[in-house]
Amino acid sequence: MSKTEKRGKQRRLYRSLPVFCLLIFFISGCSNGMKQYVRPNFDFSAVRTVAVLPLENFTSDKYAGGKIRSKVIIELLSRGIDVIEPGEIIMTLRELKVRSIDSIRTEDIQEMGRMLDAEAVIKGSVEAFGISKGITVSYPEVSIDLTLIDTASGNIIWSVWHTSGGASFWTRHFGTEGMTLDNTSAKVVKEIFDTIY
Amino acid sequence: MVLLKKNIFALTVFLLFAVTGCRGNIPVYHISEDIDFSFYKKVAVLPLDNLTNDKYAGEIVRQVVISELLASGLVDVVLPGDVKSAFNNLGIKSVSSLNSNQIRALGKSLKVEALILGVVEEYGEAKMGNVSAPQVTISLMMADAGSGSIVWSITQTRGGASFWARHFGARHETISETVLMLVRESIRTLVEY
Repeated sequence: MSKTEKRGKQRRLYRSLPVFCLLIFFISGCSNGMKQYVRPNFDFSAVRTVAVLPLENFTSDKYAGGKIRSKVIIELLSRGIDVIEPGEIIMTLRELKVRSIDSIRTEDIQEMGRMLDAEAVIKGSVEAFGISKGITVSYPEVSIDLTLIDTASGNIIWSVWHTSGGASFWTRHFGTEGMTLDNTSAKVVKEIFDTIY
Repeated sequence: MVLLKKNIFALTVFLLFAVTGCRGNIPVYHISEDIDFSFYKKVAVLPLDNLTNDKYAGEIVRQVVISELLASGLVDVVLPGDVKSAFNNLGIKSVSSLNSNQIRALGKSLKVEALILGVVEEYGEAKMGNVSAPQVTISLMMADAGSGSIVWSITQTRGGASFWARHFGARHETISETVLMLVRESIRTLVEY
């Protein structure tokens, strides 16, 4: 092969490189952006103590709510927010005669704030927590929604719904090790709080 | 030869389009044109009717609807616990059998301008050939709490594996992402109005 032929081949290879990169990017896909609600003009620095209510669990894993709740508590503590002991919350819920979390009313939340001396209450649910089956591979999937309620006014001051999961490009095509379920749930919780604190 | 090459290229592109197929993802919706939507400041999202085999599908979609309504900045939403309490106080047992008098009574009790009702018709994996992918179908409605009439309604479906996912292993949506995009697209019709 002559030098000119070699150069021509190289040039063609370089030219096809952007197309190849574009194809990889296209096949990799991109995830959906997280949207959140933040009440305008609310001073979040005033929220120093938070009560994290037991999360509603809409998954087949009966401990999913507890697992995510503990991650939420750890994440809040690591960001310098005081968290009320879960046992105290259970006692308060009993005193207020709240039988299930889905029936908690605004006035119960306001009363809880007074009883526990907490500026805000976190309420939420776990919509997905498990290993889902894809076309070629299985992957962890975690979806959570969290709502921060101001105990003084009973207003929702922050609300977010976030999901993470799906097999990465490298897992799908090259069989590399993907994230574990625990890693995925920690990632979701971290990304949620990154938006506010 | 050059002409032949060009034709082959055009034929390949055409074939790709034909094989990919074009799925209609156009939402079917209705908005009352004589309504000023800026009037609605606070709404209540009622429990959605669940017509699927997944016992939590209704609640999962409801949470996404609440979150997306808040995130859109359109309206404030009352807590689901307040809605449950109002249902108990008014003796309402089923959402599917709500009449306009009950809608008005709920609106008064919850101090909201509108109620969001709906149905989850499909929630799960749909099998297409030898691959399965998430598929979700929902219908949402907004009822004016003053008159009890429906001012907005939408039916949307989303899901299935794309051509690229089926043949080239491209990433396909998880069921959570499908729900999120479906609800987001539905609410966008209100935002854009």
